[in-house]
Amino acid sequence: MSARRFTIDGLIGAIPIALLIGLWQALVSFGYAPPTLLPPPGLVFERMVHQLTSGAFQQAIAATVFRLFAGFAIAVVLGVGLGLAAAASPAVNALMRPIVRVLAPLPKVALYPALLLLLGFGHESKVVLVAADALFPILLSTYYGASTVEQKLIWSAMAAGTPPRQILFKVVLPAAAPSILTGCRIGLVISCIVVFLAEMITSTDGLGHVLVTAARTFQAVDMFVPLITISLLGLILNGLLQAARSYLLRGFPEV
Amino acid sequence: MLTGKSVAARLAPVLACMGLLALWQIAALALNSDSFPTALEAMRAIPSILGDKEALINILASLRRMAVGFLAAVAFSIPLGLLMGRSASVASFCNPLLMVIYPVPKAALMPIIMLWLGVGDLSKTLVIFLGVSLPVIYHSFEGAKAVEEKMLWSGAAMGLSSVERMIRIVLPASLPEILTGCRTGLVLALITMVTSEMIARQSGAGNILFNALDMGQYDTVFAMIIIIGAMGIALDVAFESMRQRLVSWSEPQFDVPLSFS
Amino acid sequence: MTAAGSRSEAPLERTPASKSAPAMIEIDRVSQVFRTSSRKDHLALSDISLAIEDGAFVSILGPSGCGKSTLLYIVGGFVQPTMGTAKMKGKTIAGPGPDRGPVFQEFALFPWKSVLGNVMYGLRQQGVRPAEAEAQSRALLDMVGLKGFEHFYPKELSGGMKQRVALARTLAYHPEVLLMDEPFGALDAHTRTRLQNDLLKIWERDRKTVLFVTHSVDEAVFLSDKVVMMTRSPGRVRQVVDIDLPRPRRRTELLLDPRYQKYVVNIERMFDEPDEDELRC
Repeated sequence: MSARRFTIDGLIGAIPIALLIGLWQALVSFGYAPPTLLPPPGLVFERMVHQLTSGAFQQAIAATVFRLFAGFAIAVVLGVGLGLAAAASPAVNALMRPIVRVLAPLPKVALYPALLLLLGFGHESKVVLVAADALFPILLSTYYGASTVEQKLIWSAMAAGTPPRQILFKVVLPAAAPSILTGCRIGLVISCIVVFLAEMITSTDGLGHVLVTAARTFQAVDMFVPLITISLLGLILNGLLQAARSYLLRGFPEV
Repeated sequence: MLTGKSVAARLAPVLACMGLLALWQIAALALNSDSFPTALEAMRAIPSILGDKEALINILASLRRMAVGFLAAVAFSIPLGLLMGRSASVASFCNPLLMVIYPVPKAALMPIIMLWLGVGDLSKTLVIFLGVSLPVIYHSFEGAKAVEEKMLWSGAAMGLSSVERMIRIVLPASLPEILTGCRTGLVLALITMVTSEMIARQSGAGNILFNALDMGQYDTVFAMIIIIGAMGIALDVAFESMRQRLVSWSEPQFDVPLSFS
Repeated sequence: MTAAGSRSEAPLERTPASKSAPAMIEIDRVSQVFRTSSRKDHLALSDISLAIEDGAFVSILGPSGCGKSTLLYIVGGFVQPTMGTAKMKGKTIAGPGPDRGPVFQEFALFPWKSVLGNVMYGLRQQGVRPAEAEAQSRALLDMVGLKGFEHFYPKELSGGMKQRVALARTLAYHPEVLLMDEPFGALDAHTRTRLQNDLLKIWERDRKTVLFVTHSVDEAVFLSDKVVMMTRSPGRVRQVVDIDLPRPRRRTELLLDPRYQKYVVNIERMFDEPDEDELRC
């Protein structure tokens, strides 16, 4: 029953995507858009397959993925750590709250030129930018999750002989897991987007660089390929995180 | 109502700003590098940027595009999101497409859109529109989905038509969530604006920033960072105070603007 | 004070030695003040003194908002009293410990652990080896009627089953005192009756000291040796009623017993009359 409902939903959902590709094909076929501006979907797909097997493009993907993971990993470690600390200690909370209030709405991408000046055009400046952008959603959702853990869960663990020092890791961290993973999911999408933009802005290497190079030579086909690649990358990573989430949270209601 | 505690709560972010600037000052003095001016040097460069007529026009044009893109996105996204939240078939129709679009960096569409629509205001506004739409749709969707069925039943029993129920029950009930989406969208509009200008390198605040970087005017670079940062914070504070007035009846929310574009 | 349990006809007589021992729990002139956001502080408990003997089943009965749960939390060590002391076996209670096991109305099971994992948690904290902890936990789950549910997650269980798991989780680390905070308050009437019967069966087997908070007169009389009646805001001890009914008790028999009916009616009448404290306010 539910499996069938799922397939029906999937089919309905495929309609707009199919329509979009159909419209795209129609625009090209009926000559409304010149192929130099809007290449036909078949050509883009062909080019995509070709690129995915080429060494240079694979290297671009590798550079992007490395920066993405490095920045995201730093954001997770810092975000979860600081979020837990703010929930556990009123002093840390009082210090962090106003700083986060100021830094969270700051457009981090505006800091990128400063990062370039300080850290250079290599991996470091991009990794730091990704980390800075992904940090806040993870930090805030960790803090929110950790500060709303049900008191009686903590009491139950304390009565069962858990020393106060261990409560943070044995109760608060697992109890806040749903919230933390939601934050990580948002952080991951942000990481995907920011790494690509950073590569476009400085344009040294990576998928963003591939797009900018294509734009400079007006190669419309080559502009679509890196965009679709980063989107697929985002979807794959999101799917992996979702799988990890439903495994880790199998005991929690409403995953 | 101005107790000592609430004054402290209001002053804390100001103190945090000053603390961060002081930290910057100390770090810059310690590093003593040409490419890393101190906070004071950067702030001294602000008046000359804001005094420069061309720069000011550029920045104001950026802000105008941002406002237009943001308002258009909100006007389009809230009805769509509410509809998705109340109708399962609309939701399953739109969701996969939105999921595919979600991880696409909107500002990265700039080169393609410029190819089609030229370098004018239209492409820049369109990119901002795209960047803002998704979070507003998503939050309106979540808000409308969570509206209690029984509230709608009471509405139907009182004789409200389905359109009236949408406007008079679903919209106000999901307002807190919608405004959370708008707050995210507002900061996103700023980010998309800056990023797309950095990529397009035609005009606007992002372009001033990178031109200064290219010409080695490092104090201007950092001054622009302060200006853009201040815009982000000011927009957030202004929207937040409006939001709190509009939905003071609802539970406090922990959501904050997420910066991605 | 003599607990009614010692006079019961239950096959398990308690040893005479425990009668002469000091009270298991001693609450000495405890008051609790809560700071509220408004300027006025709220006096939740006022000058409570109570002694609870080893092996006694004592209910704290009162209207909602009378601070009866707070009193339980003080004994649990979760809340420090503003004034006065709570002692266990002559030692002042400074914090929670495995000698006092709580069972909450909200179950408070760890959602990330399976049923077995929840029950094993306390034993593992005490340093019991995994295999041994698992064997003991399985035996306990069997006792509370949940054999076969070991690998379920709490979300997959009904409210009654969740509370059975919570009870097993607490019994697992062998607390000397069970602190039950309206444990059956969130359950439907039928499930509640069954759990009351099962709780009594378990209690009659090993006679732990039980402090049981409830607002149901029925429940208090049916389960307890002693009912502590509390007044509303500030919570004071109004009267302590010894329930002198034979054990083992069976609900169906007790409902027809005039002595049981008399206890229930008398307590309900007392709650209907305003007491001196309330009149004085």
